[in-house]
Amino acid sequence: MNHPLHDCRPRQLLAPRAGRALVAAALAGSALLAHLPAQAAEPRSPEAIQLLQRMHKAARSLDYAGVYTYQQGNTVLSTQIVHVVDGTGERERVSMLDGQPREYIRHNEITQCLLPDHKVVLKERRDSERFPAVLFDEGLELATHYVLNLHDAAERVAGRKCQVLELEPRDTHRYGYRFCADKETGLPLRAQTVGPEGVLIQIVFNTLQVGSKVAPEALAPAWNTKGWEVVEVPVQEVDLASEGWRIPLPPGYRPLKQVLRPMKAGRQVKQMVVSDGLASMSVFIEAYKESGDQPREAGLMRKGAVSLYRKRIGDHWLTVLGEVPAETVRDLADRTEYVPLAVP
Amino acid sequence: MQARQQQEHEASLEASISAWIDAEADIRPEDLDTPYGRRVWDTYHLIGDVLRSEDLAIKPSDFLYARISRAIDEEPPIVAPRVPPIRRFARAGVSGLAVAAAVAAVAWVAMPYFTTGDQVVMHAQLQAAPEAEGLYDYVAAHHDITGVGPVRQVSFEPGGGSR
Repeated sequence: MNHPLHDCRPRQLLAPRAGRALVAAALAGSALLAHLPAQAAEPRSPEAIQLLQRMHKAARSLDYAGVYTYQQGNTVLSTQIVHVVDGTGERERVSMLDGQPREYIRHNEITQCLLPDHKVVLKERRDSERFPAVLFDEGLELATHYVLNLHDAAERVAGRKCQVLELEPRDTHRYGYRFCADKETGLPLRAQTVGPEGVLIQIVFNTLQVGSKVAPEALAPAWNTKGWEVVEVPVQEVDLASEGWRIPLPPGYRPLKQVLRPMKAGRQVKQMVVSDGLASMSVFIEAYKESGDQPREAGLMRKGAVSLYRKRIGDHWLTVLGEVPAETVRDLADRTEYVPLAVP
Repeated sequence: MQARQQQEHEASLEASISAWIDAEADIRPEDLDTPYGRRVWDTYHLIGDVLRSEDLAIKPSDFLYARISRAIDEEPPIVAPRVPPIRRFARAGVSGLAVAAAVAAVAWVAMPYFTTGDQVVMHAQLQAAPEAEGLYDYVAAHHDITGVGPVRQVSFEPGGGSR
């Protein structure tokens, strides 16, 4: 006998009193149902977490240079990277070897993107974590949402021995990951995103040099940018919650960053990036225009490992995407509400 | 067309749930047992509880009242029948108001089934993504911060908005 009365009542009655009042005042009843308590973590795997942190630290603090390949579906792109830490901090040069020539020269949190075709330097101030950095935070919560497995048998990547670490998702809100960390330095030599159907994304070093073999001269850009136009990319911090956006995140996900950024054709778009430490999604919010200067398709889409879901909420377009299962982006979008706050 | 039918169905479902809550009609569990039906059921109960108990309520701002009034003005067929039957008027004490409040405040809630138009698939099917140019920008912007993708694709258009 699963009568709806019995099914619905208890949940409502058991809701915390303060929570009810708050939710009722905001009249957003569904928010309550969104959060299930996180399941109890099994005994943590400190060793595996330590390895993840070691991988991450190595990527930020070591001198290394090499070429790595990004592979997703039929796409294969190679990238050259030089990373040097000196008295002023981190310096990095990343060159795209395929497609349009492009270089990224980073000094700590300032990144300059060199576009030789346009003779333009895009200058951006931001902190970001990129391969070979793998973690978005300390990774302390990962054991709650993934089963961590350290493999004893070593593998070999880019001519070096590495240790395999597998993270299996405990729920359907994220994919799994498989890393191979350099035995000697801890640097991730290979990172794979694994879905139910197999490896979805793979980033792997083909060649790698570490330590004193890395020449700081290799940091010099390939082009002389004298006379190039320098364009500062304005990125402004925003707070979507204070604007009335209620975005209930799946278990384990936390907001990393909320910015207002320009996109093509002069559009201003708000972007919130959320992550569970490894997996990440972006939520984009922008004004809805009937004119249709952008492709206006609502619905769920998926390309390779990237799932994307778009829908209209009132006068806004909501676009959620990330390297997560399709259901995850759709659920997030469908639970999102816009309740503009009344200013007293 | 389908979306409109869907909308009518949803509207009458709200009225039905309101009546069920007041025990004025027999509950049809099969209609109630949908994610949306459950949500409406819970929300109406919540609203009813708050209206009956001052302890549970926070005093809303005048702005909220104004929005509710406006929504009532704009939605006469649903929330403010001009000549309501006496019996229905009596129950409007709680549930009628509840419906009004729900309509006013839930107006912006994400409701995929009828606010986004005909293109939305009810049980969202996984479509093969067409090479939609515009969508690529979002992927690029996501990778720009997360760095997962083919390493930092910059969406840049000479003379575009980034200057």
